[in-house]
Amino acid sequence: MQDDYQKTLEEAQTKIGACADATGLKAIEREYTGKDGVVQALLASIPSLPPEERRGVGQGANQLKQAVLEALAGRESELAQVSLAAERKGEGYDPTLPPAAVQRGSLHPVTMVMREVEDLFQSMGYSVLDGPEVELDYYNFEALNFPPDHPAREEYDTFWCDREGKLLLRTHTSPVQIRTLERLKPPIRAIVPGRVFRHEELDASHEHTFHQVEGLVVDEGVTVGHLTGTLKSFLRELFQRDLDVRLRPGYFPFVEPGFEFDIRCPFCEDGCRVCSKTTWVEFCGCGMVHPNVLRAGDVDPEKYTGFAFGFGLDRLVMLRYGIDDIRHFMGGDLRFLEQF
Amino acid sequence: MYVSYRWLSRHVDLTGIAPEQLAEDLTLSTAEVEGLEPFAAHLSDVTVGLVTERKQHEGADKLSVCTVDVGAGEPLQIVCGAPNVDSGQKVAVATVGTVLPGDFKIKKSKIRGVESRGMICSVRELDLGDEHDGIWVLPEGCEVGSPVREALGLDDWVIEIDNKSLTHRPDLWGHRGLAGEIAAIYERELKPFDCSLPNVGGGTSYPLRVDSPDCPRYIGLTIEGAQPLASPDWLRFLLLAVGQRPIDQLVDVSNFVMLDLGQPNHTFDLERLSPEGITVRNARAGEKMTTLDGGEHELIPADLLICSADEPVALAGVMGGEGSKVAEGTQSLLLEVANFAPAVVRRTAMRLGLRTDASARFEKSLDPNLAMSAAGHFARTLVGLQPDVRFPAPPSDVGDWHDPAHTITLSCDRVRSVLGTDLADGEIAKILTRLRFDVEGEGGALRVGIPAARATKDIGIEQDLIEEVGRIHRYANLPERLLRADVKPPPHVPRRVIVRKIQDRLAGAARFHEVLSYSFVDDELLAKVGQAEAPHVQLVNPVIESQSRIRRDVLPSLLARLENNRRHREDVRLFEIGKGYRPENGNERGEPDQVHSLALAWAAPRPGKKARFDENAFSRLYGVVDDLFGYLGVARPCWGADLDAPAWAHPARRLGAFWGTDEAPGAVLAELEPGLARALGLEGELASDVAVCEISIDRLLALEPRGSGYVPIPRYPGVKVDVALLVGADAQAAQLVDAIEKAGKGAVSGVELFDLYRGENLGAGKKSLAYHVLLQSPNKTLSDKDVAKFLGRLERAVTDLGGELRKG
Repeated sequence: MQDDYQKTLEEAQTKIGACADATGLKAIEREYTGKDGVVQALLASIPSLPPEERRGVGQGANQLKQAVLEALAGRESELAQVSLAAERKGEGYDPTLPPAAVQRGSLHPVTMVMREVEDLFQSMGYSVLDGPEVELDYYNFEALNFPPDHPAREEYDTFWCDREGKLLLRTHTSPVQIRTLERLKPPIRAIVPGRVFRHEELDASHEHTFHQVEGLVVDEGVTVGHLTGTLKSFLRELFQRDLDVRLRPGYFPFVEPGFEFDIRCPFCEDGCRVCSKTTWVEFCGCGMVHPNVLRAGDVDPEKYTGFAFGFGLDRLVMLRYGIDDIRHFMGGDLRFLEQF
Repeated sequence: MYVSYRWLSRHVDLTGIAPEQLAEDLTLSTAEVEGLEPFAAHLSDVTVGLVTERKQHEGADKLSVCTVDVGAGEPLQIVCGAPNVDSGQKVAVATVGTVLPGDFKIKKSKIRGVESRGMICSVRELDLGDEHDGIWVLPEGCEVGSPVREALGLDDWVIEIDNKSLTHRPDLWGHRGLAGEIAAIYERELKPFDCSLPNVGGGTSYPLRVDSPDCPRYIGLTIEGAQPLASPDWLRFLLLAVGQRPIDQLVDVSNFVMLDLGQPNHTFDLERLSPEGITVRNARAGEKMTTLDGGEHELIPADLLICSADEPVALAGVMGGEGSKVAEGTQSLLLEVANFAPAVVRRTAMRLGLRTDASARFEKSLDPNLAMSAAGHFARTLVGLQPDVRFPAPPSDVGDWHDPAHTITLSCDRVRSVLGTDLADGEIAKILTRLRFDVEGEGGALRVGIPAARATKDIGIEQDLIEEVGRIHRYANLPERLLRADVKPPPHVPRRVIVRKIQDRLAGAARFHEVLSYSFVDDELLAKVGQAEAPHVQLVNPVIESQSRIRRDVLPSLLARLENNRRHREDVRLFEIGKGYRPENGNERGEPDQVHSLALAWAAPRPGKKARFDENAFSRLYGVVDDLFGYLGVARPCWGADLDAPAWAHPARRLGAFWGTDEAPGAVLAELEPGLARALGLEGELASDVAVCEISIDRLLALEPRGSGYVPIPRYPGVKVDVALLVGADAQAAQLVDAIEKAGKGAVSGVELFDLYRGENLGAGKKSLAYHVLLQSPNKTLSDKDVAKFLGRLERAVTDLGGELRKG
């Protein structure tokens, strides 16, 4: 009797061992342990057996069932391993096929760097202000201490919007200094990013339409040291490293003293194309707000001092992305824009 | 402006200060040095040679065959065509391999069969002047074999200073002034400098008269017996170093005085001037004059003239007239040294396009005292060259001028508080004294006397003196600080916030690319978009004549980008945020009205026959804009087709977005007008389905925020009902959605059009719109009965609209 079970079990084990898929295993399971299966048939035979055999047959049937189920489970896990191994082999797929493209739009590179600059200054407590691009001569020049016929006006190759010399395209973001002083009272900390215009012939490094960021701080006790400290911390964050800087005399009628602020060329140690072999790159013009400018904004120069700076954004963008031709910015060509 | 290192050293001892160091220190304390080059570097490669033998060339009358000792190695055989070459001369030899100015490389050659190994140079060949009558014979003392540059002591450096950084410093437009800066920087003494007039005779001065307020001072000095001889080398080399071509002593001395002191001056041929004298007067309207350069100019009364009697002979401060040229053989001259109103000179020079060395200096506001010094300097220099020159009469000196020198009270505390430094009173006073200010006083308040040369323009207020202290002390020595302030968030700028949100939404999921375009729009483009007649702010001096107008809206610039991009890309989605200007709504100050706009354009190939009803640019752009308004959290507009649409919009396929009681739409969405699309080049292979939209950001900013829009998650399941509505071809979808919502009595929580069908089997002039409708109640699970009631109401409503409900 025991031998019969053993034989049945061995038969089952052979079948299980030869079976290579889950469906086959299910069929074998049904054949042995299902309601019409071998084990059930054995159990069904019990009532017709002599009482002394019943116990043995019952035990044998249950043992057989356990053993078959074990063998099935074993084989199942074996097959799972095989299939995993096959999946892991990853046959028939070339992972070096190109990636499926994710389509997206793009922000203009000037927008991206402009945002960085705005966010940095905003984190230092500056407001981000705006002003008109079609501007009055009064704000662009006169209130900034460029009286009519001032020779420095000439540096600003101006686009004029009338023959009377009253309306123009702003040549710098500085007119917003006066507009801000007229509107807000010290303490003032503000930057003004925006579009400015100079009458220039276009080439790879000259545009007649470009972007500047103006800065204005007016408070009691503001010194030249604050100007240097502020610009240095800004540049440290922008370039993510300490850059050597220098302040040297520069002439702008709306600041006194006026400076040129240079940074050590971020691209070389001993002179390159970017710094014209000087190792210094002009970063911005700046200075202490001229008393006449404060007065034009109805701020008392005896009580308050301030600093102002204005830097070009386009060159920063060109440096950041290695762009070699400024004309791309206003060119509106998707082949350029979609790279950002 | 070019400055010579050697010239500077005539005024201040530069011992121990290398040119590089000087350039750096000038940049850090005074003005930007843009360049530093050795003067006549090519002369380092040209050698002093001794002609030991000269023979006639056998094959050519005019050629000599010379043997030249150049120090090292064998003597060279050189064929020379100059008539003045002779044995025993020291000459400048360019040996084989030397490159002369003009990129002229000397090669070994055969001239008429005779070998020549080098060239004996003329002055012109070395770029040192115009003389080319013969070779340049060098002084006896030159050492054979040494470079000409060293042998002649030409080891000068040319320093180029950025003119822009001298705009406010009339005193630095000459070497003497710059030397003063250098003396202050290095704490050295300026060398003594005698500019007093030499002895003059007791004759009658030449008559001068000033009839204009624009000439504060006019000095005339008569000179007798001056000869137009060639200038000595020292003078020639100084002038050459700063880029001035030597001409003759009269011209050279005039230039020398201007470049030395910064004071322009002019010599007239006295024999050609009227005995009545010179009158300085404003021009008469329409008066004409020809300048030395041959230019003919029509004048206006703002121009100032120097006239011989009444005949114009010079445009004051700008250029001499043709009639003022000094004739050959003239012995009598009149030296003019004057002071003219800066604005007058500047305006005339600019208007006539005559920017000269003189006008550049006059427009910076020269010290009127300088005129007499320059006259003295001129006279002394000329006598130094030509001892026989005489000045028969004292100079005439007319004009109503005053000495600009003044005094400023400077608070040392203010110096410290602006510069952020703790410089002591004494140090401040010392720096100012180094700059030759006259400093008096103690106790922190200094009385600072401003010398005339600094007082015309540059130093007028306390802050100007603070700059003087700061730059000489060096800005790099001021301690850096960070601002301290009460910490509070900067004010919220709604426009900036909304602009960022728009950019992010459009560049993100909507896949639009941000563009920046010029503010100028082309006339042709404006005509195409039907805006040629609209008022525009207009430039007087555009870069391109046809691009003189400033845009009113942003959309036209975007339209101009479509054609080129469609050439390279099937799907072109662009947006731009910018400003437009409307002069007709200007304010009393003359500022035009400024509008902020967002423009979008989507161009793609035309949809195919099998395209779904919403697979077209208009539908898709409508979706983008609708999503954008949702994202921005502004109230949803009422979209309507009844509007006064711009000319770029398709007459039938357009919508306006209206908020509240707006009469004009805050946004216009349209398919591009088909004729315009063709005019823009979107035809043939580039024929496109184009939708465009212009949105007023100003309008969006004025809207109330919509609120969060949050609704609780429904507690009862909804019922999805599909309905198809068969209606006339002209029926508008908006009406049908309206009918569905009304029929739902508040239970419609979603309506989605999923099919639009026009087929012959429907009958002519019919279309069928199929919707998924989601019915949902917040209070209960809807029953079949509720759905039936909804369908009943919908059926009646559709029938009222002349349509028919087809249950799905």
